[in-house]
Amino acid sequence: MADGIYRLIYYSRNHIARDEGAFATDIEEILEKSRANNRRDKITGALLFNGGCFAQVLEGPLSKLEAAFERIQQDERHGDVSVLALDQIDHRSFPNWAMSFIGISDVHGKRFAGIGVSSGFDPARLGGDAIYLLLKELAIEEEDAA
Amino acid sequence: MNALAPFLIPLDVDPQAAPDPRHILKLLPRPVLIIGSDGVIIYANQASELSLNAVTGRGVSELFPSYHADLVRNGSYTTLLRSNRGDFFEAVFAPLDEQQYVIDLRPCIEAPATHPQDNFDELTGLVKRNSLLSHLSCALDGGQASSSVAIHCLDLDRFKMVNDTLGHSVGDLLLKKVADRLKAACRPDDVVARLGGDEFVVLQHDVEHTAAAETLAARMCDLIGRTYVINGNTINIGTSVGIAIGADPSIQASDLLRNGDLALYEAKKAGRGRFRIFEPGMDALLLQRREMEIDLRRALALKQFKLNYQPFVNVVTNRVDGFEALLRWEHPVNGNIPPLSFISLAEENGLIVKIGEWVMRTACIEAMSWPQESVVAVNVSPLQFKADTLLETVASALNRSGLPAHRLEIEITEGALLDDTDNVIQTLNALRNLGVKISMDDFGTGYSSLSYLQKFPFNKIKIDRSFVAGSGADSEAILRSIASLGTSLGMAITAEGVETAEQMARIRGERCTHAQGYLTGRPMSMDQIPAFLAENNLKEGAL
Repeated sequence: MADGIYRLIYYSRNHIARDEGAFATDIEEILEKSRANNRRDKITGALLFNGGCFAQVLEGPLSKLEAAFERIQQDERHGDVSVLALDQIDHRSFPNWAMSFIGISDVHGKRFAGIGVSSGFDPARLGGDAIYLLLKELAIEEEDAA
Repeated sequence: MNALAPFLIPLDVDPQAAPDPRHILKLLPRPVLIIGSDGVIIYANQASELSLNAVTGRGVSELFPSYHADLVRNGSYTTLLRSNRGDFFEAVFAPLDEQQYVIDLRPCIEAPATHPQDNFDELTGLVKRNSLLSHLSCALDGGQASSSVAIHCLDLDRFKMVNDTLGHSVGDLLLKKVADRLKAACRPDDVVARLGGDEFVVLQHDVEHTAAAETLAARMCDLIGRTYVINGNTINIGTSVGIAIGADPSIQASDLLRNGDLALYEAKKAGRGRFRIFEPGMDALLLQRREMEIDLRRALALKQFKLNYQPFVNVVTNRVDGFEALLRWEHPVNGNIPPLSFISLAEENGLIVKIGEWVMRTACIEAMSWPQESVVAVNVSPLQFKADTLLETVASALNRSGLPAHRLEIEITEGALLDDTDNVIQTLNALRNLGVKISMDDFGTGYSSLSYLQKFPFNKIKIDRSFVAGSGADSEAILRSIASLGTSLGMAITAEGVETAEQMARIRGERCTHAQGYLTGRPMSMDQIPAFLAENNLKEGAL
């Protein structure tokens, strides 16, 4: 069971700063830290975020995924983390890291407009996938509520 | 001594003059540190730099993971410390002034017999009870009224289920993650301890205001309650927290822990996943409960229990079909204690099984002395099913009393069917095979799950008094539905709590088969039964 590649999908409300500049700093800090950890742990995936929530797909060895998830759970900038799926998979859907800002708020929209392109986020990879649609829907609802 | 001489006396100093103490300190062959009250190293001599990698500005807790701020709060103090390299030191703490402390570290050549590892929980690496108590005593003895400590007592909700369903190895991994999350929630100088099983205690320092303790407790509830992923399983548990704040300098460590436990008990009672702060009233409440428990344990032996009997009447024939046995506790000091006040306690401590056996035995014996062959109905607690001795108890009660099985009716509530339904159904079937009748009590108040009615063919359903007393259209509709449901399933229907002739007329109209309540007869003692039956037989038809 411990062998093989797993995929974990979660989404969470973010408790990070509302202020635009601080928000960007927080996001960058989170990304920077997780990039380093994930490279070491052979975890790839996709991160979608907006002003209200994170939705993340993590793919990698089970024990590393579990450790990464535990780090996320101990990070108080996340709240109400819901695990949407944890399954063994045959191959990675996201062999590289990808991230995308999927909010509709103008303020954050402009700032993060380029991030999808620069990180190689390809909605087509997710495009047909119900996960993406689900995550996007959740995220946008969350932003509306925030 | 000679070997040290060149170090002690620098060559350019007059050999007759006393050596510079600072120099001695620097070159002393064993580690000496000076730290501030915040635990930051202010001075480290050469030996400490070499053997401990001590550097000015670092926290002493980096060198000694078990170091704790309490160690410097209490004047001179000797303790055993283990460095992060695994070496043991006998550490003497001595205050230089209000703000600074010397730590003199004598290396232990052999690991001491009282291994400091004994102070640590092997699984989680957290400190254990003894160590917690000494930290706590230290903190309380510090006696700085301005900064009090808080004790947080935690246990995990639903942990047992994880152990039972996913196995102990997953349970152990879960405990480790819980320990990590607790440490993540606390400040570095707080102490997190595991007292065993799923019991944790956090000692929080510098609690200037209740709000600080509440914030930490809320954070712990949040963090522990977040989903875990372990070996491919997603796991959800929760925690309840009881807080006790040691603001009073006279309070003892063990008292504070006990208060935290009391508050934890209240937190769990209030519905899990939350925290409660200890209040003096909780003390009295528990004391009262403990006294009652002591009395309750004696009550059986001292024959303080007795049974009263309330008749139930067949509304078609107007005859008394039987009596429900009702438990009474005649307390020598407190008078009659109603079952509501002690049954939950008896269920909590397991006494209910013994009490239930007594009730079963006594009801069967007493029913044998009645002038007519009425049914005796006996309530059985869900816990008696769990005890696995119910069948035996009933069989032996029938056997010893000589009561024919068809005169015994066992009343259970839905609660009995909630857990382990299959086993309970099996017991119910075995009881029915003895010839005993089974009825479902208080129907309509709990889950009222129709699937229970399908799983077992009850002889009777007792409709809760609230639907009988309620005169609204809703109550009436519910009464009617349950009655017609029961009738079509071939079950008798008792309406409970019938108090007025008007209610009697209504339940007759709704096809209830039996009535029980003040109108048809109040609970009575055993010796009142013959007179009651004689009078009732005369009145037959008049009701």
